[in-house]
Amino acid sequence: MALGEGAAGSIVPQRFQARLKRAALVVVAALVAVFVTVPVYVMVAVAVQSPTAVFSGGDVNLIVESVTFRNFAVLFQETNTVRYFFNSLVVTASSTVLSTALAVGAGYGLTRFEFTGKTLAARVVLFAYMFSPIVLAIPLYVIFYTLGLLDSYFALTMALTAISAPFTIWLMWQYFQTVPIALEESAWVRGASRTRTIWEVVLPVARPGYISAAIFAFAVAWNDFTMSRVVMSSEEMYTITVGASLFLDRVSIGWGETMAVSLLICIPPFLIAVFLQNYLLQGFNVGGLE
Amino acid sequence: MARPIHFDTVRKEYRTAGTTHVAVDGLSLSIPEGSFTTLVGPSGCGKTTTLRMIAGLETPTDGQIAFGEEEVTDQSPQDRNCAMVFQSIALYPHMSVRDNIGYGLKVQGVPKADRDDRIDEAAETLQITEQLEKMPAELSGGQQQRVAPGSAFVQDPDVLLLDEPMSDLDAKLKSELRVEVQRLHQELDATVVYVTHDQTEAMTMSDQVILLNEGRLAQFAPPGELFDAPVSKYVAEFIGTPSTNMLSATVERTDEGLALVGDGFEVTAPSDRFRDRVGESVVLGIRPQYLSTDGGRYGLVVTAEVVEQLGTEFVVHGHGPDGTPIDAVSSAFGDVDPGDRLAVGFDAEDLFVFGDDGRTICHGDALAADARSQPR
Repeated sequence: MALGEGAAGSIVPQRFQARLKRAALVVVAALVAVFVTVPVYVMVAVAVQSPTAVFSGGDVNLIVESVTFRNFAVLFQETNTVRYFFNSLVVTASSTVLSTALAVGAGYGLTRFEFTGKTLAARVVLFAYMFSPIVLAIPLYVIFYTLGLLDSYFALTMALTAISAPFTIWLMWQYFQTVPIALEESAWVRGASRTRTIWEVVLPVARPGYISAAIFAFAVAWNDFTMSRVVMSSEEMYTITVGASLFLDRVSIGWGETMAVSLLICIPPFLIAVFLQNYLLQGFNVGGLE
Repeated sequence: MARPIHFDTVRKEYRTAGTTHVAVDGLSLSIPEGSFTTLVGPSGCGKTTTLRMIAGLETPTDGQIAFGEEEVTDQSPQDRNCAMVFQSIALYPHMSVRDNIGYGLKVQGVPKADRDDRIDEAAETLQITEQLEKMPAELSGGQQQRVAPGSAFVQDPDVLLLDEPMSDLDAKLKSELRVEVQRLHQELDATVVYVTHDQTEAMTMSDQVILLNEGRLAQFAPPGELFDAPVSKYVAEFIGTPSTNMLSATVERTDEGLALVGDGFEVTAPSDRFRDRVGESVVLGIRPQYLSTDGGRYGLVVTAEVVEQLGTEFVVHGHGPDGTPIDAVSSAFGDVDPGDRLAVGFDAEDLFVFGDDGRTICHGDALAADARSQPR
């Protein structure tokens, strides 16, 4: 019998197939878990132990025996970490809000109104998403330089939004296609104006969509390195990612402190993942990204 | 307060990329106030477009729509006191059933206590009191379908529009809701316009039926008239199940005067109507219910192909001697097998006569009156 012929389960019995499937699933899941958790564990282990404990005996000691906040203390005393962190929060929050608002507006418009060049506009948006940040970085640098906006929160917010908006717009455009227009029409017939309908019907229904968009915009902005490096020129304007990368060049800052700052960088995404994971999955399901 | 709806040569076109699609073409009619009017027709005949123009969700390309004396052609949906039940039900997923029903009142600024009273009352009528505090996702399809008219109920609209609200329901629920919708009509002081492609719904529920054919009005009449006196072949074929049998015939001059001669029958025709049509071909329509095995002045031989049982009656799908498909319905067909040849008879008064253009030349009563007056 050639490959692909015969009834399902005729070569390998159904029951065996099912078992094989389950075993394969467990193995794959375990491998993924190991790859993901080991680096995270190393980071945590190095961050919460003192350098002497980690490197005692000339080897890297990854079994946590004593927990200390010494690395964090050094970070806060000797570096600008707090300032970097604050900068990151400001630009990330502004860019997330801006990108999401833009996406909601564009998505609503693209699905609810007919206008010439609509398909073209949608394609351009998706095409723009394929650019690497560095491609945009230089032109944006020139623009901000000309406008005298370099080294400002505003410029970085704009730059980060330029990276995340194509995807968030595309996501919301897809999401709004799944929101039945009959919901809005039914509100209009009942006397609600378009604006009121948007606030009371469209936005609540589209919530999983725009929360996903916001999470994506957040991730782009929070993890950004390129734009911050290009747009921000003075040290006190650096975001946490750029700031942390500088630590590696400094003699007074070691592995422990670097891992400590890494741990700090992980906290906001971790909190978001914990609290908003349901929304994240709902939104991306609709976008066809399961 | 119920208001009549007037259409004056309403036309609706959709233009997409150079092609123009005419959804509704020159529709002129008046729907009486407080009536239950059904818009019926096959898919794509413009019935939903017509309904949406009444609601204000579509603007006519040409012509006027008026509610009573007030012209509403360019009024926004918010300004017309309409209520609409959508085919997709359109319950807001983020609001409880109570808030869904009361949303229109909330928009109008009715105070909460007053709102709640009216919602409770409506819920009682629709038997959904237990569902009021639930979210739409917790309801079954049938329960959602019961909630949908609730908002129309509390709003006291001038015009109530229903767009195929029962298209996805099973037969039992359909018949239950049919009663519900009619009760809604009785209790509300509103003109009801109901869209459906199901002619049983149209025929059983409405005072008036508007039958559309590709955007044009085919016939606007009470259900009985639509059944007994179709104005065209299209109406006769669309209304009634199974569809009306169409037999071709020619108008010929015989010894006894004019006659409609077909394959195996010769029906006397009144000379005043057919004098100018000698030699023309016509189509005779006869409803399957009027073909009987006993009696009937004119005979047909039908070869049975398929026999269906519909409760106490049997539907025979077959063909005539010349291959024309012919259906017959009777409780006497219980022992008919496929392949059997049946002799069925019909009377002149049950016939419809259609001209070549599909328009009705005359109904059976004219033929029969003439046949009686002539000596046999």
